[in-house]
Amino acid sequence: MGRPDWKVSVTRDRTDAARPAAQALDVGTTTDDLTLVDACRAGRRDAFDLIVQRHQRQVYQLCYRFVGNHEDASDLAQDAFIRAYRGLHSFKGDSAFSTWLYRVAVNVCLNRVGSRAPRLTALEIADRPDLRVERADTMLLRRERSAEVRAAIARLPRKQRAALILRVYHELPHEAIAEIVGSSVGAVKANFFHALANLRKFLRAQS
Amino acid sequence: MSHLSRTELVDFIEASPQMPAERAHHASTCNECRAEADALRSIRALAITDEVPEPSPLFWDHFPARVAAAIGEEPPGRSRGADAPAGIRWLRAPLMTWAAAATMAVLMIITVVWRTTLHAPAPVRGPEVATTSTGSGTAAPSAVTPVSDDTDVDADEAWAVVRAAAQDLRWDEVHAAGLSARPGAAEGLALELTADERSVLARLLDKELEKGKRAKG
Repeated sequence: MGRPDWKVSVTRDRTDAARPAAQALDVGTTTDDLTLVDACRAGRRDAFDLIVQRHQRQVYQLCYRFVGNHEDASDLAQDAFIRAYRGLHSFKGDSAFSTWLYRVAVNVCLNRVGSRAPRLTALEIADRPDLRVERADTMLLRRERSAEVRAAIARLPRKQRAALILRVYHELPHEAIAEIVGSSVGAVKANFFHALANLRKFLRAQS
Repeated sequence: MSHLSRTELVDFIEASPQMPAERAHHASTCNECRAEADALRSIRALAITDEVPEPSPLFWDHFPARVAAAIGEEPPGRSRGADAPAGIRWLRAPLMTWAAAATMAVLMIITVVWRTTLHAPAPVRGPEVATTSTGSGTAAPSAVTPVSDDTDVDADEAWAVVRAAAQDLRWDEVHAAGLSARPGAAEGLALELTADERSVLARLLDKELEKGKRAKG
């Protein structure tokens, strides 16, 4: 009896075939956050990589505003994404995913800044100057002013700091900020007012 | 017209459409409100100029891999308490937290009630109920001689029956019956009984003695 003439060929992994989400995920605008979240919930780890790639800059900058140095900001941003990954089941889609992610990141930051004093980046190593486009003295003055502003922001109470950072640097509407920090719009506006007033007071005292 | 409130000042410097026209008009004509708004605007403008230093381009390339490595192989949407220490992780679930709190509350109530009952003073009864009907052997609980909560068992009238019963017992018989006790264990146990429990125990022992006497007679 001769052997059957079978040809076996493996085209792709069975687990890939079982994955419900789209096979080709792209960071581009075609794939929205909700699709990525669904894919991630369905077991696509690479979908979360795309979420990280898409939002890493905003989350990092948010964290940097809270702690004022790169090392802590990168640690906080990583922590925020880890917590977001673990809490994906709690995202109901009632708000934008970015709002939900901001909420996670703000909570991580508020917990951190509540437990330790901010360690601001030294003036000498922050923001390497581009002398081709800016005079040295202008650059020095700008950096000094930036350092003063960051030091003043670091002295603000936590809720005022959150309101200021989200409003001024991330340009979120007060309603979204209220959702992120879990308070009313009126409270957010009041915190924003006090943040600006205190910032003025601190900067006056410094100068 | 009153000056702008804090939230109105915020609306004013941000040119919010939520600002009522008459309040906006007041802000533009009131020197005090205008000065306050200008000061807030200038400090906001100063804050805006501060930019976050851009990290190395390599940082953005490596960051997703760093997050992925930190996440490891855990599945997405793990429970909220997953990052808690293993010993208390179950407490992070809301249902378990409430159940634990309810259990603790019940245990505390039971403990308080038990201790209150244990150390409560014996109920004071009038002399009319202080009669013992040992003859019938069917005395109602209310007719039993009240037992004081005094810890001196020797002086306790109700324990006279127990003492009388124990007088006929020999230690080797008790030991042969498999009964053994630590020194003071019986006293300790008796002291932990409430007044009512002592009365009931005395009544039961009384019954048993009556039975024994009848059997001998």
